[in-house]
Amino acid sequence: MANTVIGSSIVIDGEISGDEDLVIQGTVKGKISLRESLFVEGSGVVEADIETQNVEIAGRVTGNIQASDKVELKADCRVVGDVKAPRILIADGASFKGNVDMDVKER
Amino acid sequence: MAAKDLVASGNTVIGPSILINGKLTGDEDLTVRGRVEGELSLTKTLIVEPSGVVKANVTVKNAVVSGVVVGNIQASESVELTHEGRMVGDIRAPRVIIVDGASFRGRVDMGELPPGRSLPERSTPRTQLRPTVRSLPPPPPRPATAAARPGGASATTPARKPGGMPGIVRTEARTPPPAPPTPPVVAAGAKKKVVLKKKK
Repeated sequence: MANTVIGSSIVIDGEISGDEDLVIQGTVKGKISLRESLFVEGSGVVEADIETQNVEIAGRVTGNIQASDKVELKADCRVVGDVKAPRILIADGASFKGNVDMDVKER
Repeated sequence: MAAKDLVASGNTVIGPSILINGKLTGDEDLTVRGRVEGELSLTKTLIVEPSGVVKANVTVKNAVVSGVVVGNIQASESVELTHEGRMVGDIRAPRVIIVDGASFRGRVDMGELPPGRSLPERSTPRTQLRPTVRSLPPPPPRPATAAARPGGASATTPARKPGGMPGIVRTEARTPPPAPPTPPVVAAGAKKKVVLKKKK
């Protein structure tokens, strides 16, 4: 379904922006801004600030995450950074270090 | 055809609304339907689809361009501009294929062209290097000898085409692999008759 997939052997150093879902199995450093959903799969490594609507993280993310809808930290993910979103889910088994901010005015 | 390739091989796809600005490296096939700007290096194949735009210096093994590329491409194997491909920049690759309909501005460097190899010979006539490469003269008007004995000629050398000379010269060069360099084509024309008679 997702149109864009960053495969596991791909390394991107820079900025990614777009209006569609993005699946990351590889490595992205820099900045990600999307209007749709971001999926960081188990093999994915993101060292970037993230701005999206939804994020689902099963891999590793270092950086601040800001979502207009939802952030979901799945089991076995490792996240370091601040998370800001109206809905934040942290599953059992997830490891996370950072601030959580659900105080979003537009609701 | 490009669609088939990508379904089979690519697991990295840059979708049509995605913009990547920066450096992209990887060891797998990459299909670009969106935009990539900056630098792109892969050890496999880059496919730029018709909706894709790459403004980058590209280092890959193979590149198939159906979209837009602005920048230089260096490929260790081949670069192909399809009929929808548009490119501005220099190409450096041992095999460069530019098909009818493609638009291209820039330089092509295929490196050393080893003489006697069929590979560059096949791909060059389509490139812009065309005038420099053609070494074979136009077919001389002597199909009369071939037509004089149609049965025998077609049986022994089925590869013979109405093209006449160039085809024959090539087959001659192929059949005896360690053959000495074929003499000038004019002389070969005279000799060839003898060779054919021997075969019969």
